[in-house]
Amino acid sequence: MDQQGQNGLLATYREGWRNRGLLGIAISTLLITFYVVLYWEHKVEAHFGVAPLTALSESLGLRNRWYLYGFLYSVAMIAGAAFYLRRHGNSRYNRARISVNLAIQIALGFTLPFVMPLFGGQEVYFSYFWPLKYDYFYPQTLESLPLYFAVYTVVGSLLAAPVLALLYGKRWYCSWVCGCGGLANTFGDPWRHLTSKSERSWRFEKVSIGIVLALVVVTTALIAIDWKIGREHPTLHRIVAGNDWRDWSLKSFYGFAVGAVLAGVVGTGLYPLLGPRVWCRNFCPMAAILGIVQKLGRYRITVKPGMCISCGNCSTYCEMGIDVRAYAQTDQSFTRASCVGCGMCAHICPRGVLRLESAGRRRLSVLDS
Amino acid sequence: MRIVIIGNGVAGMEAAMAVREAEPAWEITLVSEESDHFFSRTALMWVCCGQMSHRDIEPLERDAYLRFGFRRVRARAMGIDAAGHRVLLAGGLEPLAYDRLLIASGSAPRRGPWPGSDAHGVGHFVTMQDLAWYENELHGGPSRGGGPPRPMAHLAATNDDSPYRFRESGAAMHGRLASKPAVIGGGLIGIEAAEVAVAAGLRPAFFIREEWFWPIALEPREAQWISERMGEHGVDVHLNHEVEALEADPIGAVSAVKTDHGRFEADCVVIAIGVVPNTGWLGGSEIERDQRGGIVVDEALQTSAPDVLAAGDCASVRWFDGSRRPEQLWYTARDQGRIAGGALLGRPSSYARGIWYNSAKLMDIEYTTAGLVSSELERGASWFFEEKGKVRSTTRIVSQDDRVVGFNMLGRRWDHSVLMKWIEERRSLSWVLPRLHRAAFDTELVPPLRVPGV
Repeated sequence: MDQQGQNGLLATYREGWRNRGLLGIAISTLLITFYVVLYWEHKVEAHFGVAPLTALSESLGLRNRWYLYGFLYSVAMIAGAAFYLRRHGNSRYNRARISVNLAIQIALGFTLPFVMPLFGGQEVYFSYFWPLKYDYFYPQTLESLPLYFAVYTVVGSLLAAPVLALLYGKRWYCSWVCGCGGLANTFGDPWRHLTSKSERSWRFEKVSIGIVLALVVVTTALIAIDWKIGREHPTLHRIVAGNDWRDWSLKSFYGFAVGAVLAGVVGTGLYPLLGPRVWCRNFCPMAAILGIVQKLGRYRITVKPGMCISCGNCSTYCEMGIDVRAYAQTDQSFTRASCVGCGMCAHICPRGVLRLESAGRRRLSVLDS
Repeated sequence: MRIVIIGNGVAGMEAAMAVREAEPAWEITLVSEESDHFFSRTALMWVCCGQMSHRDIEPLERDAYLRFGFRRVRARAMGIDAAGHRVLLAGGLEPLAYDRLLIASGSAPRRGPWPGSDAHGVGHFVTMQDLAWYENELHGGPSRGGGPPRPMAHLAATNDDSPYRFRESGAAMHGRLASKPAVIGGGLIGIEAAEVAVAAGLRPAFFIREEWFWPIALEPREAQWISERMGEHGVDVHLNHEVEALEADPIGAVSAVKTDHGRFEADCVVIAIGVVPNTGWLGGSEIERDQRGGIVVDEALQTSAPDVLAAGDCASVRWFDGSRRPEQLWYTARDQGRIAGGALLGRPSSYARGIWYNSAKLMDIEYTTAGLVSSELERGASWFFEEKGKVRSTTRIVSQDDRVVGFNMLGRRWDHSVLMKWIEERRSLSWVLPRLHRAAFDTELVPPLRVPGV
């Protein structure tokens, strides 16, 4: 049966592991440890003489630890999707969204990159774009990519992604395609109520995501400049790219601070404490760009006038920390840059007050006009 | 100017905010016996099952009193000294002087008229304290979201007659959680209380006096569907049962519900037979009330006493059909709160009630209604369509003298504002039917309603 709203009450706050209890802290510690080992395994190896993830991947026939990561990522998403669909799968939107997300991760996020090298191809990820996949725009990367993929990634990042966001909102990417969003909405879904709804967290988000966006634009631009003129300007080259991979440079700093710490260790490691969209909400530069585009496009959440009972289910379950109730109870249809269009507010609203819309023609409701 | 508002529910808070917006310096005091913070009463059920925390159902952040400069008094109001412009408080507290007063004391649960209604393990599901009681019965206490702050702050200034007193749970007396809950009363609060018991893994018995569930809103075919869904979710629905008494065991805890159909064991009973204006505390004050207890107000929400207004569930207002009674709805309380806020500022305006509309969720079935839908409507004719495909829904359109006067919709989402417009425009059924999709508010990807032959 296709239903539009939540079927059966949730027991979110009565489950210990979902509420920052000891178990939540333990899960978070485990995740953080995993990411630290994943990113800095050479340091672990230097200290302890073992490279646990590499050893495990080889014994599983997964070539290197990044494929092991992709495999675990997919397994976590499958388990999380089962959790999610058991609770919210009565709605067609939810089923479609999670299925597409899962299919893309399994096909484009794991299988294809794993299989391509077997046939002499290069491992590429069709589901990631600049600036989320920042190194795809480094000239030396573009040079090394097969031509069709270099074209795909440039057109995809600069044209297709923003145009689709104009038409459908950033959700087409953040909630249907992106692997980070996919993990957040499946494996991370049990903790979505933990995202802070305070005004303070909103102020933080606007500053932090802007900083990362500026940083990725500057880093990419300087790396391109360095690629062009770096040979004549050794100091510039040293600062931007470094002479050796061990050097601290702008490039390695971005990779460390944003790519590893914010996206991995903080972004995923803190799911059980701060909710599943810490990375997407506060740091992801792709979300920042698509969010700005979304404000100019057709996507919005329409509020049915006069029907909101201020219960707060929408705000409670907003993984992006948007106080949806504040709009709903004042009859304001809205588009927020951070909204990833997961659809949960509309799904869980017990009065059917909210609707995600990206249709061009908009029916004016009576009390609006 | 000293403004006193009795009640920090939606009507009182809406008025307080309106006053503060216009007058940053006025002294605004909110009196609430029930809770420190304004919360959404409609959301109690989700706190009980653990879907939301106490904090989640508060529409404002907890520093709101500080930020807006509201003074908070946690005490029971005991009456109004209209001549002296004072509110009397329980617990020996100094009376509160006011220049303008708003009474927004809301509703109180209607008490059970049966012998044994005061036994332990019997309660209601209307107030914050009822919630605490029911949480104790079903779960042994609040969820990990925590309880409300300062739950006992009013106990020094209340009395035994208060709807905000705490009740002993049967669970505490027996030393085990409730296992056989019963709910009496076939309305919205009743179905919520039953659903919350289902969420706790129990099989509640649901005693309904009427022939079918919620007859003031639903007709038998609609109610039949809701009853089926209740059964599928694990509620034992008992229609046509007139409760005669509640039985208690030797320690004084409820043990059974006796109806005209027999005796049913129960260790926790929710009485949900409606609400009454919470105005008992006004006894002896010179403020006119109607026979239901509602405070009589004029179009500007002015009561019979000078400088005293009333808004929300406790106010008896003129309805669109000319009758006078309280409107016990969230959005009317909010609208009245705004009007009252203007009046407190010395800018009275008229409260005009438009066409009736409402929505609800009955188990997992969404309900939207607008206009007149009673199955007993004079010269009323119903057009009814039941959809039984991937989406299940019912659509009922009521006409009177070939113009559409009401819509009753189950299972799909509808924009009531469009439906209300058609009622205002006095459209005919044959005009409305082919245009019905314009009022659809279905989620994306849901196949649209198709009415055969239209």
